[in-house]
Amino acid sequence: MRRSWLPVGLLWLGYTVLLIALTKYVAILPAQWAEEAQVVDEAFILLMYLGSPVMALVLAVMTWGIIGWRSDGADREDGPNQQNNRVLVTTWLVITSALAIGVLINPGFVGLAEIRGEPSSDYVIGIQAAQFFWEITYPNGETALDELVVPAEKRVRYDVSSVDVLHSFWIPAFRVKIDAVPGVPTQVYTTATAEGTSDDDVNLRVQCAELCGAGHAAMAMPVRVVSDAEFNEYIESLGGSE
Amino acid sequence: MKYLIRAIVLGIVGYIVGVWLTLAIRGGSPTDEVAVVFGFILALIGWLAGIGGIEAFGRQWIGKTPEVSTARGWQRYFQFTVDHKVIGIQYGVTLLGVLLIGGFSAMIMRIELASPGMSIVDLEEFNKLVSMHGILMVAVAVAGIIGAFGNYIIPIQIGAADMAFPRLNALSYWLVPPVAIGLLSAPLLGSFSAGWTAYAPLSVGGDSGQILFNMAIITFGLSSILGGLNIIVTVITMRAPGMTWGRLPIFTWAGFATALLAFTVTQFFAAALVLITMDRVAGTDFFGPDVGTGILYEHIFWFYSHPAVYIMVLPGFGVILEIATAFSRKPLFAYKAVVGSLLTIVGLSVVVWAHHMFTSGMADFLQAPFMILTEAISIPTGVIFLSIIGTLWQGKLWFRTPLVIAFGWLFNFLIGGITGIFLADVATDIFLHDTYFVVAHFHYTIVGGSIFALLAAFFYWFPKITGRMYNDKLGIIFAVSVTVLFNTTFLPLFWVGINGMNRRVGDYPQAYESANKFASVSALLLGSTFLLFVGNIAWSAVAGPKAGSNPWNARTLEWQVSSPPSHHNFRSQPVIVGPPYDYGVPYVVFPDAEPAPEPDESGKEVLV
Repeated sequence: MRRSWLPVGLLWLGYTVLLIALTKYVAILPAQWAEEAQVVDEAFILLMYLGSPVMALVLAVMTWGIIGWRSDGADREDGPNQQNNRVLVTTWLVITSALAIGVLINPGFVGLAEIRGEPSSDYVIGIQAAQFFWEITYPNGETALDELVVPAEKRVRYDVSSVDVLHSFWIPAFRVKIDAVPGVPTQVYTTATAEGTSDDDVNLRVQCAELCGAGHAAMAMPVRVVSDAEFNEYIESLGGSE
Repeated sequence: MKYLIRAIVLGIVGYIVGVWLTLAIRGGSPTDEVAVVFGFILALIGWLAGIGGIEAFGRQWIGKTPEVSTARGWQRYFQFTVDHKVIGIQYGVTLLGVLLIGGFSAMIMRIELASPGMSIVDLEEFNKLVSMHGILMVAVAVAGIIGAFGNYIIPIQIGAADMAFPRLNALSYWLVPPVAIGLLSAPLLGSFSAGWTAYAPLSVGGDSGQILFNMAIITFGLSSILGGLNIIVTVITMRAPGMTWGRLPIFTWAGFATALLAFTVTQFFAAALVLITMDRVAGTDFFGPDVGTGILYEHIFWFYSHPAVYIMVLPGFGVILEIATAFSRKPLFAYKAVVGSLLTIVGLSVVVWAHHMFTSGMADFLQAPFMILTEAISIPTGVIFLSIIGTLWQGKLWFRTPLVIAFGWLFNFLIGGITGIFLADVATDIFLHDTYFVVAHFHYTIVGGSIFALLAAFFYWFPKITGRMYNDKLGIIFAVSVTVLFNTTFLPLFWVGINGMNRRVGDYPQAYESANKFASVSALLLGSTFLLFVGNIAWSAVAGPKAGSNPWNARTLEWQVSSPPSHHNFRSQPVIVGPPYDYGVPYVVFPDAEPAPEPDESGKEVLV
């Protein structure tokens, strides 16, 4: 009975270390351009760490199953009549419940609170979605269609709406998204952390993330993060060009 | 064949009459959606009457004895036959065909996605391909295991001669071909492009193919509900003496749990589609901005469609657990905990739907409760994994094709489960929702959890159903290559999703090209491995050795009867005296079952 515990335990340890190392040293997440991205990425990495030993356990059993428990079946011999192990089942339930509760607290509730943040903002930008473009309304009432310009280090609230079908306002570099729903105003907050353009990172773009018709894939526009002063200059200049 | 021809003729006549009546009453064109709706309804009635409804139900309405065919040859597969084994095969073959068509549409999508820009289809055609692929594959996953193997195996596993309602069972099956015909003929009316989810208000506009989608899926829902009802009643009332609830084989338990879900929640998808149909043809405005909203549709839709994920994977759990116990030569570990978990999943699955809606704009206060409930489901699902691990533990693992696929299932569903936590967590879901991460995740759960189990079930029960073995070496090669190529196709898609590629797009930024190209090449290879699958069936048909009644030396009842089982499964009423998986008990010997005598071959059977 005991002889399988050791190899499976060692395999489990090995796989866990491997998966945690992969999580730690392989950069799978794209560059962060907003405070919200930091919250999301922390939650993501934490879930990777918590998932590693779970993944490793099943992998260990599968590996040892192939190596250690293989039988050609020709002798038609049965394995041990092992039907239940109340202690093991209870322990398993306790551990998995604890893990579920742990995940719920952090990143669950912690992440939820952080991503939602304070309902306050330095600027409010209106985003109106339509098939298949975005119309931006800046705080001074000026509108634009071709590009979203946001100030760095400022908390911006986006008031999102739609005139036709469901769309979803998503900036991958900021991580957050919210659907644009006809008749239901929705909101999302971001605080950009660095200046940049979509030439620096393909994820600095507004991308529609809800199937909205033929032009869905192309319903995107670049995002440019600038300093607060440049932002105010830019939105003023929109008025001057008329 | 004459019944099938009659069904087709009456179906066409029904369609014409429906359209003609509509035009006579309100005028307009035959391609008006309202004409299509009534055409579809009357075509469905004509089809069902033609295939055998007249004899099986109609005769009773005029005071005569109902009749159903009991033909023995290949013709029975094209008739309103009430034998659950025939119906199981009908489901299996039909859905295998749908699986291949759905797979073919995926190949076209992956060719298009191999590079940015549009090459073989345009953006709108791509959306139509996505929608068609989605709904065909959802149908296969919903009905594949439970329709084919649930019908074939469950009555035998519980020691019954047939299902509780054999005619209803035939009706459930014969509702399925019109679904396939409806969906596949939608391109004639411009097809549907709102995705299989058919979110309003997008699905309220758009081409008229959407109306065929609605009618087909409402019909499919009816089939699911009737099928679910039948399995529930069968398991409750048809168990052999001594087949207590604590002795039910685990596949039957899983099928029972699935049937409970299918019976209680399928209505909601149908209801949502009825509302969309009304919005389209009757001038109502359930999902317009002034009255209801698109969010309302999402709530109704996911109230079915999240449990539908469990309708897809619960039978998969059953299959994999059966295979784990038979091929490790050990009793099922923690049987009672597994049964409790299956039923807990049924209960929890109907209260987690809004985790699909964390970014939908629904009220903020809903997010925390749905996150809690969703993550709670990981606990009973964990027990299923514990049972598989405990069953394999120090077993005598016999690596034949079914167990190899079961290992593939275990790996894939594990990844599907773990990545599910990322989507249950609000912070990460707000990022990952509607990206390729989701696409990869649900392929790991639905292909990994349901289609792999369907393949495992196929290779496990194939000798029972056909009486012949397949080539096991070829089966193992297929199992390994399908697992490896599935992973090389979908693992890169997690990466492109995390790195900012959204789903349901025919075009994407250059940055995602190399990963997509890799996934496309893998997908094409994955698709071509199904030639091995088809080849193996052909090999078995030509050169497959006789399987005998119990090639796996398994203990459940279906392995104690001949392969294939005789007309009413058992020569006499079996009496159950022990647990289903008494492996490793000394002195328990199971002799090979003797073949049951064939029943007389007279053409018609009178129902009592």
